[in-house]
Amino acid sequence: MSELRRFVVEDGSDLTTLVSGLEQRAPFEREPGQVLDRTFYDTFDWRVHGEGGVLELTRSARTRSPRAVAETWMVWRAAATGEVLGRWAIDRVPEFVWDLPDAPTTRRLAAVVEMRALRPLVTIRSQRATLRLIDGEGKTEARVVVEEVVVVGGAGRPDLLLAPTVEVQPVRGYPRATDRLSELLAAQVVLRPADRDLVEEALAIAGFVPGDYSSKLRVAVDGDAPALDAVVAVLHALLDTMAVNEPGTRLDLDSEFLHDYRVAVRRARSVLAMAKGVVPPDLLDHLRSEFKWLGDITTPTRDLDVYVLTYADFEATLPPALRPDLHPLLAFLVERQHRAHAELVSELDSPRYSRAMDRIRSWLADPGAEPHAHDPLVVPEAEMPTSAFSATRIWRAYRSLVRDGRRITPYSPPEALHDLRKDAKKLRYALECFGSVFPAGALAPLVKELKGVQDVLGEFQDCEVQKGSLRDFGEALVGEQGTDAAATLMAMGYLIEQLDEREREARAQFAERFAFFDRHHNRAHFRQMFGPPEPAHPDPIAPEESSTMSVEP
Amino acid sequence: MKVLATYNIKGGVGKTATAVNLAYLAAEQGARTLVWDLDPQGAASFYFRVKPKVKGGSEALIRGRRAVDRAVKGTDYDNLDLLPADFSYRNMDLELGDTKKRTRRIDLLIQPLAKQYDYVFLDCPPSISLVSENVFRAANALVVPLIPTTLSLRTFAQLDRFLADNPGRKKQQILAFFSMVDNRKNLHRELVEKVSADRHDVLATRIPAASDIERMGIKRAPLPAFAPRSRSATAYRALWAEIQARL
Repeated sequence: MSELRRFVVEDGSDLTTLVSGLEQRAPFEREPGQVLDRTFYDTFDWRVHGEGGVLELTRSARTRSPRAVAETWMVWRAAATGEVLGRWAIDRVPEFVWDLPDAPTTRRLAAVVEMRALRPLVTIRSQRATLRLIDGEGKTEARVVVEEVVVVGGAGRPDLLLAPTVEVQPVRGYPRATDRLSELLAAQVVLRPADRDLVEEALAIAGFVPGDYSSKLRVAVDGDAPALDAVVAVLHALLDTMAVNEPGTRLDLDSEFLHDYRVAVRRARSVLAMAKGVVPPDLLDHLRSEFKWLGDITTPTRDLDVYVLTYADFEATLPPALRPDLHPLLAFLVERQHRAHAELVSELDSPRYSRAMDRIRSWLADPGAEPHAHDPLVVPEAEMPTSAFSATRIWRAYRSLVRDGRRITPYSPPEALHDLRKDAKKLRYALECFGSVFPAGALAPLVKELKGVQDVLGEFQDCEVQKGSLRDFGEALVGEQGTDAAATLMAMGYLIEQLDEREREARAQFAERFAFFDRHHNRAHFRQMFGPPEPAHPDPIAPEESSTMSVEP
Repeated sequence: MKVLATYNIKGGVGKTATAVNLAYLAAEQGARTLVWDLDPQGAASFYFRVKPKVKGGSEALIRGRRAVDRAVKGTDYDNLDLLPADFSYRNMDLELGDTKKRTRRIDLLIQPLAKQYDYVFLDCPPSISLVSENVFRAANALVVPLIPTTLSLRTFAQLDRFLADNPGRKKQQILAFFSMVDNRKNLHRELVEKVSADRHDVLATRIPAASDIERMGIKRAPLPAFAPRSRSATAYRALWAEIQARL
């Protein structure tokens, strides 16, 4: 479908004259006028926008059409063409995609927004006149929509009237009609082409910048700058991510605020672990223990979030007859999640939390003011160029991963795989935090394969943890409900069996993925980018441990 | 993508009204929907006010000289497109007979549309022909309107036998329902009750014989578009809900 064509009406022009003038130039049919309240929605991390879409709730403020079946619609369209991607008649405002009726379109939208809350951003009131260009059969070949828009105020912002616009909306299969109307509009002296679309304009007025948040770490560090600067810059960015996600975490708007908050905490812990020799040890020890605490206080809520989110998948693996038996588990999980979240909020309100945040913020604001900040005996690597610093840290993390990974056998205990997963995460975070000093093109394939290893380790660990949790939940349920819990326990037993099976598959897959990651090509690549200057041997751990390891073929 | 064909060996049973109204309802719910008007008479195209013309005609489509999606026209309704009829479709049997994979041709033409549409409705000409064999291959479900007359039920039995004798065809569902039911006629009531008791696979929704359905030809629009709250439109909604539950 061709692009929309939008024009702005010059100040002081009369719309009625414009419309009647157009009507004389082509065979139009005028539709009843409409007044619509349109509220634009997106997730906190702009997933709809990121996929080139617009999601809006449309209410007829006043309709003259007695034919309208529903007054309120959720409409999802392509921003560029206006093509409707999905549409739902609704009787209550959805908070999540799963509040919409199940349909193929809902499943497509779900693939975009997943578990994120749909948040209302800005409302406009639009008064519309639509002219349909018709052929001899009365078929619509294109539309002209004349629209007067008020951006509805809120939070101290007054209503704002925008300049009226005129837009050509194409109909598939009738490109000539669209061209004809575009030419007709372009020839009107009172119209000039619009430079941005209505949604962008309304969002800007309401103070939103689409795409301004992403869970990806976006910080560029300078390879020539001292290592301390890079550490500070990365921690700054991570602390900002935590701050941005804190309100949503406190309100539990959706599970991902806490998730992103925790990822930032883990990345920060990783950075701190790498910052030995760069940050004075007293401060470093303090920060590491406070960030570990942040990880600990957020874990119970996150774990329960995951169970609640995956509950539907769990239930779907059961034979249909057993599914209702599992319902008490969901109620149990939701109740636990509420409790855990309340505890988390009280921790975030605690003096310890504000002290820890103040401490790190004041250090980041002026790292030079810290005692011994420049003492080469205390922080020997603080002045090291970031490129060299990053390379040594990435290389170290890579070596640990490879060394520990090669020790994994089909008989290794789950803890060994869990530790290996931590190694993999450390390397991943090191690459994410300091990778920007290396060429992105060379890094991407390594990260992709590392992710392959992480995914399978994650699957293994998830199954292992979930099996244990299901056992704990089972005991707790029996404690609360006694023999009433019997049917639920049976259904849970079925789940544990399936998790066991998945865990076995993940273990089998691990060997293959890891071997692929650890192939000669990647080793050479890692060594070349991050390794010490004199490669005695292309194998990363050969010089030190060649006697105990099987190395290059 | 689900492909539904409205089909009956017998004509005049409300096939086209069914295809047009169900497609409209699917689109109204937000599903991306296409109607292919395979009938050279072009009744579905007429309802949508689209000229029954495809450049190059049936030959260009069947032989792949014109991509199916380039012949598609947007209707006046969101998410609802039409592949128009063309008078040359009367020769489609001959065109199909000349191609390789002669009974799979239409299926092969539709499959590339899977990314663009959630539902494709094929409005088929009556009769059993190479076109209908193609349609049987392409469709996930045959939506079969039955009028409560002895002759109409006889053709339904013929269809059943034909499909049963055609082991090569794709397993598709037969979704038969009563159409043009006039409850004032004793014969209609008796036949509907008898068949419903004998055959549990016949859908429960009955579409009444109603003048508003006939008005589709005057309004040249799907019924729910111009009379959304009418009894017949309500019946079509119930039918669509029942079909969706079966798919």
